[in-house]
Amino acid sequence: MRTAPDTQATGLFSMWRNTRMVVLTAISASLFAALLIPFKLLPLIPGVTELRPANAIPVVCSLLFGPAAAWGAAIGNLIGDFFGGFGPGALVGAAGNFFYGLLPYRVWRAFSDEDPVPSTIRQWVLFVYSLAVASAACALVVGWGINALGFVPFQALTNIVFANNFIVSLVLAPLLLRALYGRVRVAGLRFDDLRTAAPRPRPMRYAGVVLVSIATFGGIWVGNMLALGYLVLPIESVAQVTIGVAPFVVLLLIGALLL
Amino acid sequence: MYLYLDESSWLHRCHPLVRLVVAFALFVAAFLADRAVWQVPLLVVVALLVGTTGAWRNVVRLRYLFVVVAVMTFAVWSLFYRAVDEPELWRLGPLMVSEASLRFAATMALKLTVFLAAGTVFLSVTRVEEFAFALTSAGLPYRIGFAITLSFRLVPVFLESARKVVEAQRCRGFDFERGGLAERVRRYVPVLVPVFMGALRRTDGLAMALDARGFQLDEDRTSYLHYPVSSTDVEVVLASAAMVVGYVVLSWRGVLTFV
Repeated sequence: MRTAPDTQATGLFSMWRNTRMVVLTAISASLFAALLIPFKLLPLIPGVTELRPANAIPVVCSLLFGPAAAWGAAIGNLIGDFFGGFGPGALVGAAGNFFYGLLPYRVWRAFSDEDPVPSTIRQWVLFVYSLAVASAACALVVGWGINALGFVPFQALTNIVFANNFIVSLVLAPLLLRALYGRVRVAGLRFDDLRTAAPRPRPMRYAGVVLVSIATFGGIWVGNMLALGYLVLPIESVAQVTIGVAPFVVLLLIGALLL
Repeated sequence: MYLYLDESSWLHRCHPLVRLVVAFALFVAAFLADRAVWQVPLLVVVALLVGTTGAWRNVVRLRYLFVVVAVMTFAVWSLFYRAVDEPELWRLGPLMVSEASLRFAATMALKLTVFLAAGTVFLSVTRVEEFAFALTSAGLPYRIGFAITLSFRLVPVFLESARKVVEAQRCRGFDFERGGLAERVRRYVPVLVPVFMGALRRTDGLAMALDARGFQLDEDRTSYLHYPVSSTDVEVVLASAAMVVGYVVLSWRGVLTFV
């Protein structure tokens, strides 16, 4: 009988060997999906996106459960699409939400070993920056992919997704973390309780944050400029944004792997 | 809750991976066709699938989504598509309508209709377990497939839990609709915290139950699901492959390119 060689591994891929992390992935996914469906505050682009309190769940799960929240956000978004909107856009949404669930914890831990429940000014700055980077990464990937598929133009979707994710998570995540963090710590279910492998060296994580920041904010800016015609590549209309933003998506992937 | 229809149509009887292949083939063909006229054969194929699988009931159920998505796609692309060297019909700042933008918008609306209808057919003939089975048959690791299935199974549980909490809070006189947008978002905290804590209480029990059943082992998995490959499966895969190859060839020769 063979058993998994490293049952305590808790990296982005090796976490699948840890049963608690697998269960936390499913819990994160189903919570996200279950709260996506009934609570829709305001349609932003009818049939495409709404303002939803559930958008805070991947961020909260990320700061509690680490990489389990990334996979959970991707699966949760896929489940949401199973209620009517399943298609190639589901994969794009899953990829975008994967970064939305991955980056808050990784960016926070790159700079701080404290609990991610902000109370000082320094903690609030880092917290808001973590949310902004994660929201921007999700918006960049979703906007780029959906534009490439021809669903919605980049400039119409990316800015809305960013604002939607950022505002909801900024309002709800601190309140939820204040209520939940201590209880999850007592239950021993935080990623910090489950992980045994050492995090990457601090300089590598700093480099990851720099790359991810350039990729997300730079990608959104360049994408908007290309879509609005203020920047022009010598290629046809729709592919302008698809090709112009693609290097930033690759940069985001590299930066996320360094974190 | 989900769109699955418990019927025994020819597509229901196909191998789950074959159903996924059919949906994927339609997605690829629709994605490649940037001329409205080449979306028409795909619409005919999807209509045949809808008619022969009983999926028309879900199409009727989702009729508003179909209309909203098509109308919004047409409206958004009419305004945002940037045609080169085309006379403007109307302009307001960066928004511009031209004859080319209207033709492009119509193509995109048809493309999204094909995506949505193909996705609806897939969801109508495929149970969650079959979807996970198809993904693992295609090479997805078992643990990820299991997490997807578990997540789908937990959604109704958490949805019910959220509804109960909402009803309980409403009985106490709590008004979710009061206040501005930020205030309304904040008012969901008393719902999210108990649902979240209820979910966490399940985590340890689930993880222990899984470990007790050998989830950590790396042995090959057995399953109650068995789908023998029939001649219909082979024919459907060949037909799907022929469709994709045909569209790839047409795309390569520039026939599908928007002009």
